[in-house]
Amino acid sequence: MSAKRSSINRPPTPDVDRDRENQEPTLQEIINIKMIESGEKERLKELLRERLIECGWRDEMKSLCRKKGRNNVTVDDLVHVITPKGRASVPDPVKAELLQRIRSFLASTAT
Amino acid sequence: MSLTNDDNMSAHSQVSSHFFEDLLDSIIVDVASECHRVARLGLDRNFEEEEEELRLSAQARARVADSSNNGETNSKYVVDIFGQTHPPVANEIFECMNCGRSIVAGRFAPHLEKCMGKGRKARLKVTRSATAAQNRYTRGSPGSSYSSYSNSTGMNRLSNGASSGVAGEEYSNGSFEEL
Repeated sequence: MSAKRSSINRPPTPDVDRDRENQEPTLQEIINIKMIESGEKERLKELLRERLIECGWRDEMKSLCRKKGRNNVTVDDLVHVITPKGRASVPDPVKAELLQRIRSFLASTAT
Repeated sequence: MSLTNDDNMSAHSQVSSHFFEDLLDSIIVDVASECHRVARLGLDRNFEEEEEELRLSAQARARVADSSNNGETNSKYVVDIFGQTHPPVANEIFECMNCGRSIVAGRFAPHLEKCMGKGRKARLKVTRSATAAQNRYTRGSPGSSYSSYSNSTGMNRLSNGASSGVAGEEYSNGSFEEL
């Protein structure tokens, strides 16, 4: 007896759970959307960019990239080179300032 | 759904950190993308200059380590960082402001010494052409040098036993055997 083989081409039916999640966005998603819609995300990104330039973080990252050399580098390569050091070397006051802004935005649009 | 206050706080801070990481990642990608562009287009002129400089400094270091002796014996034709060579004695000629003679720059200092009065001959030159006040000064000086000589030897004598006060008077009288 041969068992019925499920079609290999047909995508799996979404689970019931996943279905529910699709209808109910996570807090994260809600916040994200609100941030984008209000323009706050863009403002925060610019603020972070400015702070990181001021404190020399950007120059450090650029010199890391330069060290990688010029031959056949891809953006992916460079991202992988920078990301660990980049995440770790954000100065504490900068991070604190940004988190403060984010939290106050959350509080002001408390769901 | 209702969350307790604590849950709310931790959810908030989680969301905040997550959001921050998100922002940071996108900035990282921006930086990486720009560096990629610079690297691929060769826009970073400094990069090649840096490489060139590194190579040159390595070469220079090798040269120094290698032939430091040669550098000293070749001091006649030493080349400075601009590629210029300098002769050991300066070449230019100009006029001495004291005597009016034409002097080679490299010999100017010794000339000035003789011309303006470090040596004995220069001082004689001065007395001959000087005013009366200057003459008195110079006449005094050989005398004073003479007496200072006797003073010093007198001091040596005195330290043997006599008091310096008495000796001072005897000095001015000049009644010393040394004289």
